[in-house]
Amino acid sequence: MSSPILEARGLSRHYPGGVRALEGVDLRLGRGEFVAVIGRSGSGKSTLLNIVGGLDAPSEGSVAVNGTLLDFSNRRALVSFRREMVGFVFQQFNLIPSLTARENVEYPLLFNYRPPAERQEKANALLAMVGLGDRASHYPGQLSGGEQQRVAIARALVADSPLILADEPTGNLDSATSEGIFSLLQRLNRERGVTLLVVTHERELASYADRTIEMRDGRVVA
Amino acid sequence: MNSRLIEFFQLAVRQLSRRRFRVILTVAGIAIGVAALVGTVALGEGIRTQAVEAIRTQSDLTLIEALPGVEGNVLQLVTPTRATAAGSLPGVASSAPVVRGTFATKGQTYVQVVGVPADGLDGVLRPTYLRGSGFSPGSDQVVLGAALGEKLQRYEGVRIGDPLVLVRRSYDAQGRPIDEETTVLPVGVMEERGDAYDQVLLMDLDLAVRLGEGDGGYSGILIRAEGPDRVFSVAEGVRGIGLSPRGSFEQIEAVNRMMDMVVIFLGIFAGLSLLVGGLMIASTMITSVYERTREIGIAMAVGASEGDVMEMILAECAVLGVIGGACGDLLGVCFAMVLNILGGPFLASRFGDAFLGLLDTEIALVTWPLLAAGLLLAVGLSLLAGLYPAWKASHLNPVEAIRSGR
Repeated sequence: MSSPILEARGLSRHYPGGVRALEGVDLRLGRGEFVAVIGRSGSGKSTLLNIVGGLDAPSEGSVAVNGTLLDFSNRRALVSFRREMVGFVFQQFNLIPSLTARENVEYPLLFNYRPPAERQEKANALLAMVGLGDRASHYPGQLSGGEQQRVAIARALVADSPLILADEPTGNLDSATSEGIFSLLQRLNRERGVTLLVVTHERELASYADRTIEMRDGRVVA
Repeated sequence: MNSRLIEFFQLAVRQLSRRRFRVILTVAGIAIGVAALVGTVALGEGIRTQAVEAIRTQSDLTLIEALPGVEGNVLQLVTPTRATAAGSLPGVASSAPVVRGTFATKGQTYVQVVGVPADGLDGVLRPTYLRGSGFSPGSDQVVLGAALGEKLQRYEGVRIGDPLVLVRRSYDAQGRPIDEETTVLPVGVMEERGDAYDQVLLMDLDLAVRLGEGDGGYSGILIRAEGPDRVFSVAEGVRGIGLSPRGSFEQIEAVNRMMDMVVIFLGIFAGLSLLVGGLMIASTMITSVYERTREIGIAMAVGASEGDVMEMILAECAVLGVIGGACGDLLGVCFAMVLNILGGPFLASRFGDAFLGLLDTEIALVTWPLLAAGLLLAVGLSLLAGLYPAWKASHLNPVEAIRSGR
């Protein structure tokens, strides 16, 4: 395995009231790896994803990105980590309904202070890559679920983040569309070299990944 | 940075256009508040301007008389030193000391006498003559005010060129009256001035002193200011040398004092409606942040900082404020136009001839600074109202925000 892009050690996440969503999880992602996390709902998959994506803070443990420890108490550092290092793909697609497909793809670059012309060019190229070049000016409400998720994937790629985190990206899609999304993710991994950490509960889809991690009750079991 | 702010504004406009009906209601709230404020202030300023203009045209505004003042319970007399000081105040065109006294005619008409140097008469009072001309220095010639001249002619047959006997009454130790008679020669009658000088008899200062007036120093100093805009600073200067300025400028001061109170009082009520508009914005934005919890969470996940979220929410508030303020200004201008078209005839019919001037002038005065103030107030209030919703949005937990069904 190449030098890790992300290395998490002893991650725990305890919620008030004694809920232990994560319990001593170690995770190592090699550069350019495609890793699937499987497990039942409530096994801590999403919590793990949120923590390594800098959206949530662990109760214990550490996350190192490119060898540098992430300071979860430093909001500014977390913001620039999210801006530059990570792209998120969610189960509910989570596009902004008042923005067109292209504007949704551009959206992260608004916070990266990129000029409009560059943003549009980039967004158009990515939409073409995910097969939606002709849907750029459609609003999310005018797109199918699979199309919306492709827009969301394009959005996750737009800032050239080396790490894409996808939380049940096909949870709301039928099986044929799900296959399409996973093969798109695989293609991105192969062609662009992005590192993928994808949570799913469907074992057959996990076969697209290089490696599978199984979680149960907040622990990695396989 | 600036271009990004512009994009935030563009985004804000789109976000707002999604909730058109609610936005219209909120904007109407702010607009009514601004319109009320603009309308009432315009009315107050219009009436103030009218009143001040009336005083300016109907009276001798640049004439000030400095009278003995009171400073710390001590009477400050008009000494020759003070007369010189008053004459050299900045903005003073000319000045002259005066003495005042009271005489009677043989026909028992009381006559207020003002003694003033002959050059002061021309330099300060600047009289124009209905008949005759001014008095010569050192003579026993006198000039009559318009009203006094007419009264003496009508009841006592006094004419220019005829000697006039003035009686000065004093009392001896036993309280018996002693009358001293003096004969003077009226040489001119002034045109009507519309002030106290219509009622007086003017004579040379030396003559007045010789007749026994002014033994306790001067009664006052007549001052002519260089122009209407210098009057108030000259009056201040007079106060500065311990004397008390009098003149028609005081009416303007009184009008200004009164209108300040009226405008502030009306403005407070109008401001209350603007406050309600601000509360509506706060309520609208809190609802909007609540409804868009997930969107805000997504923005944070894709790299928006707390500051970015605050700026996005505040940009929406600013847009609401600009639209509300502009509509309010427009409404206020319409309100002022209605007042000008309908209000003048109404007031004229209610209060009679004295207000006929209102028919062809503007009683509500809308100025650019007033409109700018209305707009700025609306935007400022909107931003203030948006601070809490924006702060709340920027401190959402992104994980919970994204998970929320909204």
